[in-house]
Amino acid sequence: MQEFIQTIVNGLQTGSLYALIALGYTMVYGILKLLNFAHGDVYMVGAYIGYFVIHWFGGPTALSIPVPLLILIMFALASTGCGLLGVAMERFAYRPLRDAPRIAPLITALGISFVLENTVLLLFGGFTRSYQTESFISATSGIHLGGVTINIVEIMVIVVSVAMMFGLRQIVHRTTLGKSMRAVASDREAAEMLGINVNRTIALTFFIGSAMAGVAGVMSGLAFDQITNTIGFLAGLKAFTAAVVGGIGSIAGAMIGGIVIGLAEAFSLSYISTKYADLIVFGILIVTMLVRPQGIFGRPLLQKV
Amino acid sequence: MAQIGVDDWVAQSGGRRDGGSGWRKLLARADSRLGWWPRLALVTLAGLIAGQLLTNVNLQTVAFNSLLYAMLALGLNIAVGWAGLLDLGYIAFFGLGAYGFAVLSSTATGASGSGGTHLPAIESIPIVILIAGVVGVVIGLIALRLSGDYLAIVTLFVGQAFMEVVNNVDPGTLGGVNGIFGLDSLHSFGSQVTSPLGYYYLALVMTVVLAGILHLLDTSRTGRAWRALRDDPLAASAMTIPVNKLKVMAFSFGAMVGALAGTLFAAEQNTVFPTNFTANILILIYACLVLGGVGSIAGAIAGGLVVTIGEQMLSSPNDAGYLFYGLILIVLVMRIRPWRNLAAVLTGVIGLGFAAHALAGAISSAAVAGAPGSGGSIGSAVRDYVIVPANPATYGNILYVVLICALVVIVRLHGTRRLLAVVPTVYIAACCWEARLIVNPSITTQIMIGAILIVTMAARPQGLLGTHRVETAEQ
Amino acid sequence: MKRIITAAVTLAALTAAGCGSSSNTTSTATHKAAGASTSCSASIAIEGPFTGPVAQVGLEQLHFAQLAVANDNAANKTNVVLNQDDTQLTPSMAVSKTQAIIASPAVAVVGPAGSQEVQAVGPLFGRAGVAFITGSATLPALTTSGKNPTFFRAVPNDNIQGPQDANYIVNHLKPKAVLVIDDNEAYSQGLVKTMIPIFQKAGIKVNHQTLNGTDTGATLANAISSLVSSQLTPTETVTVLPWQAAANAQTFGLDVKQQHKTTTLFGTDGTNSPSQFKIPGSYVSNFGPDISTSTSTLDKSLVSGVAKFGPYGSFGVPTYAATDVLMQAISSVCKAGQSPSRSNVLAAVKKTNIPAAATPMAAVIAFQPNGDLVDHPGYLFHIDSAGKYAQIPNK
Repeated sequence: MQEFIQTIVNGLQTGSLYALIALGYTMVYGILKLLNFAHGDVYMVGAYIGYFVIHWFGGPTALSIPVPLLILIMFALASTGCGLLGVAMERFAYRPLRDAPRIAPLITALGISFVLENTVLLLFGGFTRSYQTESFISATSGIHLGGVTINIVEIMVIVVSVAMMFGLRQIVHRTTLGKSMRAVASDREAAEMLGINVNRTIALTFFIGSAMAGVAGVMSGLAFDQITNTIGFLAGLKAFTAAVVGGIGSIAGAMIGGIVIGLAEAFSLSYISTKYADLIVFGILIVTMLVRPQGIFGRPLLQKV
Repeated sequence: MAQIGVDDWVAQSGGRRDGGSGWRKLLARADSRLGWWPRLALVTLAGLIAGQLLTNVNLQTVAFNSLLYAMLALGLNIAVGWAGLLDLGYIAFFGLGAYGFAVLSSTATGASGSGGTHLPAIESIPIVILIAGVVGVVIGLIALRLSGDYLAIVTLFVGQAFMEVVNNVDPGTLGGVNGIFGLDSLHSFGSQVTSPLGYYYLALVMTVVLAGILHLLDTSRTGRAWRALRDDPLAASAMTIPVNKLKVMAFSFGAMVGALAGTLFAAEQNTVFPTNFTANILILIYACLVLGGVGSIAGAIAGGLVVTIGEQMLSSPNDAGYLFYGLILIVLVMRIRPWRNLAAVLTGVIGLGFAAHALAGAISSAAVAGAPGSGGSIGSAVRDYVIVPANPATYGNILYVVLICALVVIVRLHGTRRLLAVVPTVYIAACCWEARLIVNPSITTQIMIGAILIVTMAARPQGLLGTHRVETAEQ
Repeated sequence: MKRIITAAVTLAALTAAGCGSSSNTTSTATHKAAGASTSCSASIAIEGPFTGPVAQVGLEQLHFAQLAVANDNAANKTNVVLNQDDTQLTPSMAVSKTQAIIASPAVAVVGPAGSQEVQAVGPLFGRAGVAFITGSATLPALTTSGKNPTFFRAVPNDNIQGPQDANYIVNHLKPKAVLVIDDNEAYSQGLVKTMIPIFQKAGIKVNHQTLNGTDTGATLANAISSLVSSQLTPTETVTVLPWQAAANAQTFGLDVKQQHKTTTLFGTDGTNSPSQFKIPGSYVSNFGPDISTSTSTLDKSLVSGVAKFGPYGSFGVPTYAATDVLMQAISSVCKAGQSPSRSNVLAAVKKTNIPAAATPMAAVIAFQPNGDLVDHPGYLFHIDSAGKYAQIPNK
């Protein structure tokens, strides 16, 4: 029982992070049909920003400000920093490629990924950096459930992710920006003719998606303690899988997809094999695509001629 | 944007009239009249002559590697360039070929000692290629239900899956993380290839034959059907082109070429290890294909040469310096017109450097106490030019960030302002290179590979030898 | 709008560089010619994973090697230049780099880091007569196979460390059952292979699991937590973690605490990093003493020399020793009035005899004919309640 609950907690926690990253993927893909492989590395940059915020305020063992305030500042700076990084990426690397063959932006994304990972390596060194979360947030206090402690960080990760998903949903469905985003996603040229500022809409989409990845980066640092410059690639891959399983373009889908992938990963790690967990997640992806190519929440695509 | 539309024939009339100037025109005309047979023969001849000039083992290895990457790019081109299927699992076929050869032509696995299978190449290579073809069909069948980037992500996992399988499944046969070593050389009919030069010639022959076969394939009905499929699958199927069969064929053919390259690679290396087939290698293969020009046979081969030789140069600090400064110079010469401006900018760049160095030295001798990171002639040439303080790490990091920002700013500026901004930017680039980038040449190499990919895509998305193709977003 | 974005990006990037620079990688020009007037000039190369997933290991080795070159250049009045060749722990890349090194004027090589890489490049170096000495490839077969005639290593092989650790666990910790987790790397599997038979012989139940070492970030953390929750039982009072990354062992320890379980962690040299793995009550073995608490001037100079690069683990010291071997060999060739050619350096490396006091390994460095160390004491540390390493007898 204990193991079962622990597995669910692990799955929900990782799943929430995958979901946050997946939201960025799904928005960018939905609007530009662009597979932004560098998105995972934006998440990595967010984790590093959070790390430096901790050290600005005295380091993990001698914080000069209260912990909730620290976390808020980390979220704010990481989301702003990553958001701007996303906007810059779009402006300078992806915008020239809007009408290029589909393979071109993919190569650009790989190039950005190379540059980001190795820039961090050059500037900050290769060693694993530790948030040392346990020295300012207790790892053993929180909700006790069937012999398992769900600690404050785990609760925060899940709550913040769900809150951000609802916030994003509100933006997309209730604001003018959301309307323009949906218009650009369904037909870019028509949207442009209707007077929507397409470039601005796309830039803001990148900003929001990247900001969420930044928050995910900070939370991953808090939850898992260790960050390196290579954490982005695999997380990005899992997150894209989540976006596909949930249904590309669907916000709820990305969230549910993230949780499904997280839980699947946790259960296969705990109950089947630590060696083949990635393969099992892959199997889920294949089955999803073969049975329901549009994902859990996606609508079937109509092919236009 | 004032114009609503334009007729293609009218728009191209200017180009038809000019067609380049003088010798370029002649060259272009000669090129267009040359058939593909003579062209291939010329490449072969060049390759044979090059073989005579490769005096040491290192050059021979580089030459072999560039042909190997050319072959890999040719194989990748079938699915990606012709059929338009984004295959990110191609590395698995390369690995399959290598592992297949290793299992069929080695004393096998780990410490078991004697025994094992020792098929001659003439038998083992066809077997391996056949297996790869079948696996390609299987993956192609899965791919049928997917399109575009969905296919990309699934095939990417196929690559990952290959790594996990060879790492974990049956270490007795596949060697697990320790790989398989002590493979046989390629041997058949009583003779065997052992020297690096021998492998180079073998790779040359294979590449040329492969290019010939692929050219015939490209111009055949199948090739045309593939391109129709790539440009518009729906229209292709409406025209009764067997879309599904063609997709599976593209995967399978690509897999076979990849496996062929794999067998050659395994034989040349004498060993196979799971980590030889990571995503990094896949990215290099993609870089070859894309830099050369997606969809073009000559482009794939050129891409293999450019990427391998470029990577080789980047990994030697001295050559990397030449490449770095050379690239800056080439970009300046190509982009700044007229010559007056170019001369002004170059003078400015040189003058600024020596002035800044003298000024910094006058203010504080510690500011110029460090030696430039480059050795050799570059190092002595820029000694009194760049500012490198005694402990340049933090300084170099800040310069690096300033450099990126300066590049961002330059892209946004136009006219005289841009010209003015170029001068300090080039100087910052030189200082940053000497103070920081050359100190960790390996990391710099990776950053430059990434940057080159980004810039090439932005400047020329069709690659060096590809043809421009406008593609609207998939519906 | 556009200007604001540009300005903001600039500002954000600048602050990022500013804060990173307080504790980041640097490299001074110290590895450059120290005494250009001396006649003993040569170049050596180092092969290691300086980028990619294990850049942490490679850069640590690089920094210690650069330090060794700088120190020995100053002490011996030589002018040896160290060239860097990045292999990313990939054998095929190591082969390409090795061919380039053989074509270059380099007289000897430090590295490569991984045992598979040594298997791939050993015959090439052998044919070219270039001595190469690793600070981290511990597979026993590398020296016994006879395929790597010019190979040396500045670390004991798995047959030394594995049994030492296993015997200590059997004799002192006396568990009824142990959990052994390898990280699916050659290093880890090699050690596990030598340990499990000893446990089984002593009647200890072994639960052998594998962690996918190529995972990173969230997936890796999830995997470690799952191993703790699903595999660690109360009878398994000892958990052996022969891992390459010390930070992962730390994560494992934190998960054990969070899940209210108890076990004594036992790490090998890969996890030996006083700044990264500090779970109280754990044991860690190593090839050399802890230089961070040592009082010898050499060790202190090493600690201060690499302090600016951030935390380090156990890969640096053996690489320092390995580089030192080559530097001393080159110097001795010069002193004998010969030119530092490949064959002369190779012969000098074979005759290496560095006293224990002159190396951070704190043991005499001399080689057997097959390239293994003659003297190879093991070290064992216990981590006290404050997270400090205390050396304990290893028998």
